Amino acid sequence: MITVEHYVAVSALLFVIGGVGFLVRRNVLVTLMSIEVMLNAANLALVAFNRSRMAHAASQTYPGPSHTGQVFVFFIIAAEAAEVAVGLAIVLAMFRLRQTVRTDDADLLKN
Amino acid sequence: MLSLFPVKDYALIAVILGMPLLGAFVNGIWGRRLGKPAVKMMALAAVGVSFLAAVCTFIALAQAVSDDRDARLSWTAWEWMHTTGRDATNVPVELKFSIDQLSGVMMLIVTGVGFLIHLYATSYMAEDKGYARFFAYMNLFIFSMLVLILGDNLVVLFVGWEGVGLCSYLLIGFWYDKTANAAAGKKAFIANRVGDFGLICAMFLLVQYTGALDWHGIANGAASLVDPSDFARVHVWPLSRGEYTGILSFLQPGYFQAHHVPFLQDHTPSAPVTISAATAVGLALLLGCTGKSAQIPLYVWLPDAMAGPTPVSALIHAATMVTAGVYLICRLCFVFVLSPFVMNVVAVVGVATAVLAATIALVQNDIKKVLAYSTVSQLGFMFLGVGVGAFAAGFFHVFTHAFFKACLFLGAGSVIHAMHARVHDDDQAQDIRNMGGLRKWLPLTHWTFFAATLAIIGFPFTSGFFSKDEILYRAFVDGTVNPLAGSSMLRHVGVYAPPPSLGVWLYGAAVFAATMTAFYMCRLYFLTFWGDFRGWTVGRPSLLAKQEAAHEPAHAEDHGDEDDEAVHEHHEDLATPGYPPHESPWQMTVPLVFLGAFSIFTGFLNPGLGVMTEKPMEHWLEPVFKAASDGAVVFRHGNDKVWAEHLEWPLTVGGIMAFLLGTLLAYWMYIARKGEPAERLAKAFPGLHQLVLDKWRVDELYEALPIGAVDSLAEASAAVDVALVDGFFARLTSLVVAASGTILRAFQTGVVHTYGAMMALGLAAVVWFLGMPHPKATIVDAGGGDYVIHAAPGVGYGYRWDGDGDGKPDTTDFGGETKLKVHLDPGKSTTVHLEVKNAFGLVKSAELHVERPAAPISSL
Repeated sequence: MITVEHYVAVSALLFVIGGVGFLVRRNVLVTLMSIEVMLNAANLALVAFNRSRMAHAASQTYPGPSHTGQVFVFFIIAAEAAEVAVGLAIVLAMFRLRQTVRTDDADLLKN
Repeated sequence: MLSLFPVKDYALIAVILGMPLLGAFVNGIWGRRLGKPAVKMMALAAVGVSFLAAVCTFIALAQAVSDDRDARLSWTAWEWMHTTGRDATNVPVELKFSIDQLSGVMMLIVTGVGFLIHLYATSYMAEDKGYARFFAYMNLFIFSMLVLILGDNLVVLFVGWEGVGLCSYLLIGFWYDKTANAAAGKKAFIANRVGDFGLICAMFLLVQYTGALDWHGIANGAASLVDPSDFARVHVWPLSRGEYTGILSFLQPGYFQAHHVPFLQDHTPSAPVTISAATAVGLALLLGCTGKSAQIPLYVWLPDAMAGPTPVSALIHAATMVTAGVYLICRLCFVFVLSPFVMNVVAVVGVATAVLAATIALVQNDIKKVLAYSTVSQLGFMFLGVGVGAFAAGFFHVFTHAFFKACLFLGAGSVIHAMHARVHDDDQAQDIRNMGGLRKWLPLTHWTFFAATLAIIGFPFTSGFFSKDEILYRAFVDGTVNPLAGSSMLRHVGVYAPPPSLGVWLYGAAVFAATMTAFYMCRLYFLTFWGDFRGWTVGRPSLLAKQEAAHEPAHAEDHGDEDDEAVHEHHEDLATPGYPPHESPWQMTVPLVFLGAFSIFTGFLNPGLGVMTEKPMEHWLEPVFKAASDGAVVFRHGNDKVWAEHLEWPLTVGGIMAFLLGTLLAYWMYIARKGEPAERLAKAFPGLHQLVLDKWRVDELYEALPIGAVDSLAEASAAVDVALVDGFFARLTSLVVAASGTILRAFQTGVVHTYGAMMALGLAAVVWFLGMPHPKATIVDAGGGDYVIHAAPGVGYGYRWDGDGDGKPDTTDFGGETKLKVHLDPGKSTTVHLEVKNAFGLVKSAELHVERPAAPISSL
């Protein structure tokens, strides 16, 4: 039996992987992917909690099942898509300008 | 009219006020695009409709007061604000307008004379670039003046008061590209600011002592201004009842006596000096009036104000705005009569101004300067009239003066207009030494100027004769007494007693001023219109007609110097023959004819000397002044009415002698002897002549003393600013900013990962904060020794209390109880422990100290 704790543990693991990746890697594309991993960790937690809550509600007299968590995930996916579109556009522009996708080189505002 | 607009809600006032405002708005915003004809129509229509509405209103007012003599037409736009009076009373300030007999007459003068002057200006200003701007300002002035007159309380009046001041400033500096004009505008504005300070102080005092700012409320509360009790006394020394110690202790009464300081111990009061609130309010109001009405000590701005266009001088600086001070004194006459001292100050200031300004006018050569000093002098007569308690006589002089002085100024404008045909320099075109003999070529201007001159010099049975003679007569026989003198003396409060021979002095000085008036006005008239023309050589008509046909100026050929053609445009050779000065167009002469006729005939609205059995104007204005004058304004010589009436004819002799003497002297000097005696006099006393020509050098005195003091203060402040503020504080501030910038710059690496790491650190701190329980509580005193301790709420919190102080929790489990009650005896204290456990199972505890203060001993 896979309980909600298992899901949350996986979600936390994913979040840590994404966070460390974001902080450590210098490639913009990887950084973006790390952000995606973190967002998906949040998505997983939301879906898991929603599912467990619905099972809990079915056993008690609760005013109807709620899909808030799952619907929330759709919104996050939509926001992610938009973010990736903007992010990739910025990466492209940066590459054209500096011939690189390393974050260390994006320091035009410094000094 | 009254069925359409009820007395209490007379909304037609909105039209009277609104039309000039509309005109100012339209001409001010779109004037340049509308073009001159449209601007002209707008400006004239605005004032014209306002005048028609004013006439209708006046008729309605006449109907209303025939039923009830104290009726007034009023209209409340909205309630503006509240303020708080003494004893926390509510003093409402409404945007309310009302018309009674006094403001009704003023309203007719402002809109009627205003319309004539607008008509005049459409032609006078025809060539000016700022045509629309000029009429926008003029209409705005009419609006402001109407607000001043019709306002039902001091605050609304003050709005109009400032509005006319602003328009005056804008119009004096109308030709702002000339530095002198801009400076004159500033001078007028600043001199008026000094007066406005007084007016504002008066408002504060009135709210404090009478608890009202509207006319009705001030009248009702006026008695408390002369309350002999200590609260209604204003402390002059020591200032504001202060206690001065240490280095300032010499400001305490009795200091000089106690320390035996030579001279000062005999010449300073040993007890506190107080004046009644009525005196304080009156003096403050008087300061405001001297500013607006150009009296000593603030008269200096008016002569300089002649830098503005001549219609402005006629409308603002002769007929309407400058009489606002007299209007205010009439309006608040019930406050002024409560202080005979202030009344005497008003009269003395008036007569002193009349004499001083007349002496200066004797020798001035600029036609507008003579008229300006004449205005100051005539305003002095008005102050004299209201100062002796003859409010109707003073106001009647406002009325007649509006006509004859406007006529004189417009006549002067017509003359200047004619002179400008060939004399292009402003100062030269206005110099009466360049005029002369103009009655031949400017017949209408001459006759109207003549009529107005007759009025101002007091030719028998003209308007000026009646109004000025009434003031002279009243100055001799009238005086004011404190209506509550008896009760004040019973309570050992000093009462001011006017000098017994004051009336004789006032009369004598006023007659002296009237004599000078007759002299300088006739001098002006003779030099301008009689004798030979001195402006330029007038060619023979037959010769000039031929030149016009050839379309070629004669002088260019005569000189045979074609190259100078362009130069001649600016520096015309006045010796070469040219056309004679020309009469002005009808837009300028029609107002002159009207005003000239009014100057002659309006005297019969209030004739003295028993010409009519009842004086219509005085009868009309009686309800406004009656309540104030009764008991306060008395005849000198023991309030002997018969004695006063017998003196009317004898005292007229003084006025007529003044007229005859001044006129004949001027005729002898300037016509019979062609100005030779005047030159001889000037040569005999060159120093005195130069001193008077320099206006007694009062401007220089002001420049040296008050302005010099302010300048030194400004220089000292500037030095402090440079050394302390710029040198130390500014550098210190910039040092702090630069230092913190240097430190913070270290964190701005520009590397995305650093920022990301910092974000992660911050996030961790937030998580840590939210993950920890926070045992916080507030202690509430429930009274009677009971204290309730409220624990702060939090998500998933459980609480465990230790209320009995044994060091162990009262319960073993954490519960939801967020409150704990404690009872303490007086002077005791206890310590309570609170443990909080959050959803993660973390526990934290806090110590809370509760103490009850000891009971006061007096409770036994």
